[in-house]
Amino acid sequence: MPENPTDLPPFARTWTQLYAIVIGSLVAEILFFYGLMHWLS
Amino acid sequence: MSVIDWSVLVLTLVGIMAYGLIRSRGSQSMDDYLLAGRSLPWYHVGLSVMATQASAVTFLSAPGQGFTDGMRFVQFYFGLPLAMVVLSVTFVPIFHKLKIYTAYEFLESRFDVRVRTLTSGLFLLQRGLSTGLSIYAPSIILSTILGWNIYWTNLLMGGMVLIYTVTGGTKAISYTHLQQMAVVTFAMALAGYLTVKMLPESVSFVDALHVAGKAGRMNLIDLKFDPSSRYNLWSGLIGGFFLQLSYFGTDQSQVGRYLTGQSIGQSRLGLLMNGLLKVPMQFLILLVGVLVFVFYQYNPSPTFFNKQETDKLKKSQYAGAYQLAEIKHQNLTTQRQRAVTDMEVALHADNEAGQDAAAIILRETDDALKLVKTDVTKLIQKNNPSADTNDVNYVFLRFVLDYLPHGLIGLLIAVIFSASMGSIASAYNSLASTTVVDIYKRLIKSDSDDAHYLNISRWATVGWGAFCIVVAQFANRLGSMIEAVNILGSLFYGVILGVFVVAFYVKSIGGRATFWAAIISEVLVIVSWYLDLTAFLWLNAIGCLLVVGIAWILQRIIPR
Repeated sequence: MPENPTDLPPFARTWTQLYAIVIGSLVAEILFFYGLMHWLS
Repeated sequence: MSVIDWSVLVLTLVGIMAYGLIRSRGSQSMDDYLLAGRSLPWYHVGLSVMATQASAVTFLSAPGQGFTDGMRFVQFYFGLPLAMVVLSVTFVPIFHKLKIYTAYEFLESRFDVRVRTLTSGLFLLQRGLSTGLSIYAPSIILSTILGWNIYWTNLLMGGMVLIYTVTGGTKAISYTHLQQMAVVTFAMALAGYLTVKMLPESVSFVDALHVAGKAGRMNLIDLKFDPSSRYNLWSGLIGGFFLQLSYFGTDQSQVGRYLTGQSIGQSRLGLLMNGLLKVPMQFLILLVGVLVFVFYQYNPSPTFFNKQETDKLKKSQYAGAYQLAEIKHQNLTTQRQRAVTDMEVALHADNEAGQDAAAIILRETDDALKLVKTDVTKLIQKNNPSADTNDVNYVFLRFVLDYLPHGLIGLLIAVIFSASMGSIASAYNSLASTTVVDIYKRLIKSDSDDAHYLNISRWATVGWGAFCIVVAQFANRLGSMIEAVNILGSLFYGVILGVFVVAFYVKSIGGRATFWAAIISEVLVIVSWYLDLTAFLWLNAIGCLLVVGIAWILQRIIPR
């Protein structure tokens, strides 16, 4: 199976960038949840 | 259920199956049948992976968990995005380049046939039993609450999937997964919206969140490192990472989904889509449960959500004790209604002291209600020792049946069927592919043509379908064994992952050391579980690390 660079979505230029987006989203979600918990408690 | 509900249920399920069958016509080879000709785009891969993981119990017990225990269960999924990245970097390119059908094929090229047969055998045993339970778990809930015969529900649940899995293979499974996810998302979003709409007019969505927060249900993050606590940030990130890596990297029911991608990139994108969407999706499902909790702060809630068991209790020798518990429950719910109204007034007046005072009463009432429920559970157990007392699974369904409009009830029952069918279909398919590729073709008959293996694949699917339905039919006689079988299945994941980690990352270790390390580690993991040395989630990490460590030592002791 070919590894085609055009498989990448328009918002990422490399696979490393896309992995960073996925991990960054997780970090953002954890921070958001933490903030939400404190705001509502 | 009304005629409208039945119509919605039947039309949804028949529509999904028909669509899958029509779109999968023309599967002529084993490659088509087992891996959809490795032709699917990323969104098919991603949705198929998500539909496989989300079982019926996800949509029944997760809202119930939000109701009972709050949002903290969301932390369980924090390791998933990390696992998706590791899989995309390591597993996906290797599996694709080797053009394998099953994950276990790779183990022979890396080690030997013994390691491949051991891991595929462990997988078949675990997946066969757990799929039987995947059929049984939602069937028992539907049968109990709707008064259906459990044997027919099992047969319907397992049998419908068999029709399109045998006929259309992986392509049918993937196309039905798209429809199933669409139905599930739409129905759950609608249920959440209607729950908010049913709150008193003076209570906005944000007010509802504040009430939930003050009542301790928005407990999203627990930073405390406690190995005995099942859900905290660290067990979710570390334990969850190992669990998800084992599940997605070594369980053929998932590997078979992303091997259908038309390229390495498309498979990766599918997995990363899962990594991006899974945590928000679980958050929203739990939030529906939390909103149901807020709804019941303003409305009387049942003492026990599994109404069939309380009806039995009312006619038993324990009726008097149950009546006393009900009176206590009613008094507490009245107290709760007063407290939540005070809370609402304090919220609108921005009165922090008033909010805190109401919050204390809400939490105290909640604790007292839990004690009443524990008493009722004990009465139910005395009255009917085989009763399903896990009330978490009944919270959402009871709420749906009591308060949501006709039509949506049918749709939400269709959600339970759809979610269940999605994971069962992938399981049948993975059991068949492992049986044919790793056992039949490798050990029994290796010199036949493609048509023969395609035919055997169909029969293997039928055979495993029948086996799983039979397991489901006997599951109610297993009693506490259900939990034991579930645990037994999960106990294998860490060890199997360890075998794959050695295969991928420790090139100096050979097959013999890995084979014996897997067996020794499995024994040690079972002993750890038996002695209750740690919380369940950590066993995955322990199993994996044990295999790597023992294999490394054995490699230095055992001569090649």
